Amino acid sequence: MSVVLQTPLPSTIADLLGLDPNSTVGLFVSAFIAAGFIATVMLTMTAVLGIWGKRKITAAFTDRIAVNRHGPYGLLIIPADAVRLLSKELIVPESVDRPAYDLAPLIIASSALLGFAVIPFGNGIHVADPETGLAYVFATASIASLGLLMAGYASNNKYSFMGGLRAVAQNLAYEIPLVITGASVVLFTGSLQMSEIVATQQETLVALGPVAIPQWFAFVNPFAFVLFMAANLAEVGRNPFDIPEAPTEIVAGYQTEYSSVYFVLIYLGEFIHIFLGGAIIATIFLGGPAGPVLPGIVWFFIKMISVYLFTQWARSAVPRVRVDQLIQIGWKGMLVLSFANLVLTAIIVGVIAA
Amino acid sequence: MSLEEPEPDLPTTEESAVGVTDDGLDYDELADLLGDRLLDREEHVNAEGFVIRPDQVQDVLFDLRDEAGFDHCSCVTAQEYDDRYESIYHLKKYDDPTQELSVVVPSPKDDPHNESANPVYRTADWHEREAYDLVGIEYDDHPDLRRILLPETWQGHPLSQDFDQTEPQVVTLREHANPLQEDHKAENDADTMFVNIGPHHPATHGVLHLKTVLDGEQVADVESDIGYLHRCEEQMCQQSTYRHQIMPYPDRWDYISAGILNEWAYARAAEDLADIEVPEYAQVLRTMSAELCRIAAHLLALGTFALDVYGDFTAIFMYAVQDRERVQNILEDLTGQRLMFNYLRLGGVAWDLPEPREEFFEKTRDLLDDMPERLTEYHNLVTSNEIFQLRCVDTGILPPEEAKSFGATGPVARGSGIDYDLRRDDSYGYYDELDWDVVTEDGCDNYARVLVRMREVEQSARIIEQCVDLLEDWPEEEREIQSNVPRTLRPDPDTEVYKAVEAAKGELGIYMRSDGTDKPARFKIRSPCFSNLQTLPTMSEGEYIPDMIASLGSLDIVLGEVDR
Repeated sequence: MSVVLQTPLPSTIADLLGLDPNSTVGLFVSAFIAAGFIATVMLTMTAVLGIWGKRKITAAFTDRIAVNRHGPYGLLIIPADAVRLLSKELIVPESVDRPAYDLAPLIIASSALLGFAVIPFGNGIHVADPETGLAYVFATASIASLGLLMAGYASNNKYSFMGGLRAVAQNLAYEIPLVITGASVVLFTGSLQMSEIVATQQETLVALGPVAIPQWFAFVNPFAFVLFMAANLAEVGRNPFDIPEAPTEIVAGYQTEYSSVYFVLIYLGEFIHIFLGGAIIATIFLGGPAGPVLPGIVWFFIKMISVYLFTQWARSAVPRVRVDQLIQIGWKGMLVLSFANLVLTAIIVGVIAA
Repeated sequence: MSLEEPEPDLPTTEESAVGVTDDGLDYDELADLLGDRLLDREEHVNAEGFVIRPDQVQDVLFDLRDEAGFDHCSCVTAQEYDDRYESIYHLKKYDDPTQELSVVVPSPKDDPHNESANPVYRTADWHEREAYDLVGIEYDDHPDLRRILLPETWQGHPLSQDFDQTEPQVVTLREHANPLQEDHKAENDADTMFVNIGPHHPATHGVLHLKTVLDGEQVADVESDIGYLHRCEEQMCQQSTYRHQIMPYPDRWDYISAGILNEWAYARAAEDLADIEVPEYAQVLRTMSAELCRIAAHLLALGTFALDVYGDFTAIFMYAVQDRERVQNILEDLTGQRLMFNYLRLGGVAWDLPEPREEFFEKTRDLLDDMPERLTEYHNLVTSNEIFQLRCVDTGILPPEEAKSFGATGPVARGSGIDYDLRRDDSYGYYDELDWDVVTEDGCDNYARVLVRMREVEQSARIIEQCVDLLEDWPEEEREIQSNVPRTLRPDPDTEVYKAVEAAKGELGIYMRSDGTDKPARFKIRSPCFSNLQTLPTMSEGEYIPDMIASLGSLDIVLGEVDR
């Protein structure tokens, strides 16, 4: 099938600035600006949704009003909170293991941002489109586990230690089903390239009169979609799988000993992770930036934020499972189901192709 | 009256138990059981007191438990007289708590030693530690006789007669060990890890310190360290007059909206002590306001339990608090207060319903009308949630025998299938005139305890409804809210009473001894949370940490009442 590849964002920027995209300097500058743009967008989104949106959403679920005294709709809480968080004293406990203790928040925050390099936001906002896009995004997302383990282990705190262990056990148990379920999508498209995955989903699945239902993989394979959503909840550590933090059990898990800027970085990293999860789901299951009327990028953000809302909903209404139950669900349930899904998809794809 | 008769179907203990007759307890027969181990008999207001030798405590208590059926050691009171120390074991029966017996154990002034009752009743463990801590009686072969409420470094025993309150407690820095120091102690067993849960921890519901040894994620050993909220409540009551000054204090024991229930414990004991009648109208008011408190307390218990199992930021806590808020508004209309009600008075209540009465009735009825719908919502949201059931069913098991041995009462006991509720079994107030049921669940697990509380809210709503009907039709000229009580109460010297009511968390008992003045010579509080908390190791050893946290939540302790 023929795919109209959109120009990657760095090339567009190079054109606008009159740089030669094929020279090293031109490529570096334009890629740097493109990456900076995406990172700024994501960090702004985290600031809005993580500081203000989260409160409003949780408040809506729990019949409260939340922030409404700082500016219109309480929006000025965002700078107020940012200043508050950053101006707090950075307390580094005496016998923490540096530099692991200092590196962990950086790894957690940056690993998730890396993933956005290959996400097609639509309207040409797409930093890079390598052939291994999907593999790359899973790989970068899972670097965070390393950061969590470092944070937990280096903090020299028993709660952090347990939180770190839980985080690693959980990520191991759920990343495999996540990747394998993602692979079932690849069977359909025959490519790991993000633009290819998005393009495949634009074709019509069924036409109901004038309305054409596109071939989004959430419609083609709802089972894989549900599996992926569940595994994603575990991956980003939200209820019912928020046991690495489990505030009522192990205080705050791996982030117990972090304060001020370090805490902000971990907090940021968690939110960007949720958005990255949403971006992956939007791209591989919900047709990426496709949608009627509105521009593609708006649709993409709508889809991504919907996934974020789903995590917040789960957080407000679903109990947390116990750590042993979590591991059981992961290894005995999700893994088996995801393999079944993969094999089944392979057979179906084979039959259609034959 | 549709109340079930207390426990007709356990004839094994009922029939064979020594001293049980058709019209109550035959103390002579019990005296014969003890034979010459009985030194003397005392007359307390609630029961007879049997005086025994300090070195025969276990022997006597074993006989009383096994032969006479006293399976509930409600409380242990210790006090110092001019010529002796005294420990009183207040025994009751789970089948019929009106059958009471006080076992009085005097011990010499110069060297107060008793045998410990620990092998007979496991609840005696903490009660005797408290007696040692505050009064200074030593209990031989007690497994772990340490201070319980005061710090280890405390000098002297504050409720003993020679304690000098003006003497400063000099504690050197070295002695005043950091309570968390053990954090870094080397464990003999390399596979286990010692963790301090608390005193400041999101799930301890106050300042409770759990010394926990973990084997991986499982709890190998847990020990509660209490006393962080000790405020000398007993001593404050001993320095206050019966008539007015004591009544505000009970509000501060279980301060989670259960104030009026606590006040009733004092009112009941003091009214029995001084022989005060309470007008019927006031009894209805008391019953209604107490049940409103119970609803508020149980709703908060549900909300905080959801916090423990669901995590923060869940809807259930806010929903529960919103419903509790409506109850609080009604209580505020009635008492003028939202937390420390101070509504009961000896011989009645402080004031009548607020005018216009119709408005109050309407507000209360609105609450009761919405209650079934709200409870259905909680059942949908909480108890029928599959993950919730996965977490709570068959975790935190408390077998009934263990519960009895630890003196567990209230929803904790009823969640273990023990059909014990003082409102019915040792009735007071207006309860025996009303139509309601005692709720029990046989699950013995965290789930059963939550379910009991939720179903008790239904029953409380039933009680309130009937009270509102009664109050509405009460003739205006007969609305007597207080009986005639002397301005200063001076009960006869050496009168002793131990009386309990069914508070939100279980059996809240008060022991008082008068010395002829207008203040009690000894005021002892039997806190239900104190006894219930002792069951935590039984529930949680071998379980996972999250289950221990859930069990702690299902016990619904209030540290203000545990530490007093």
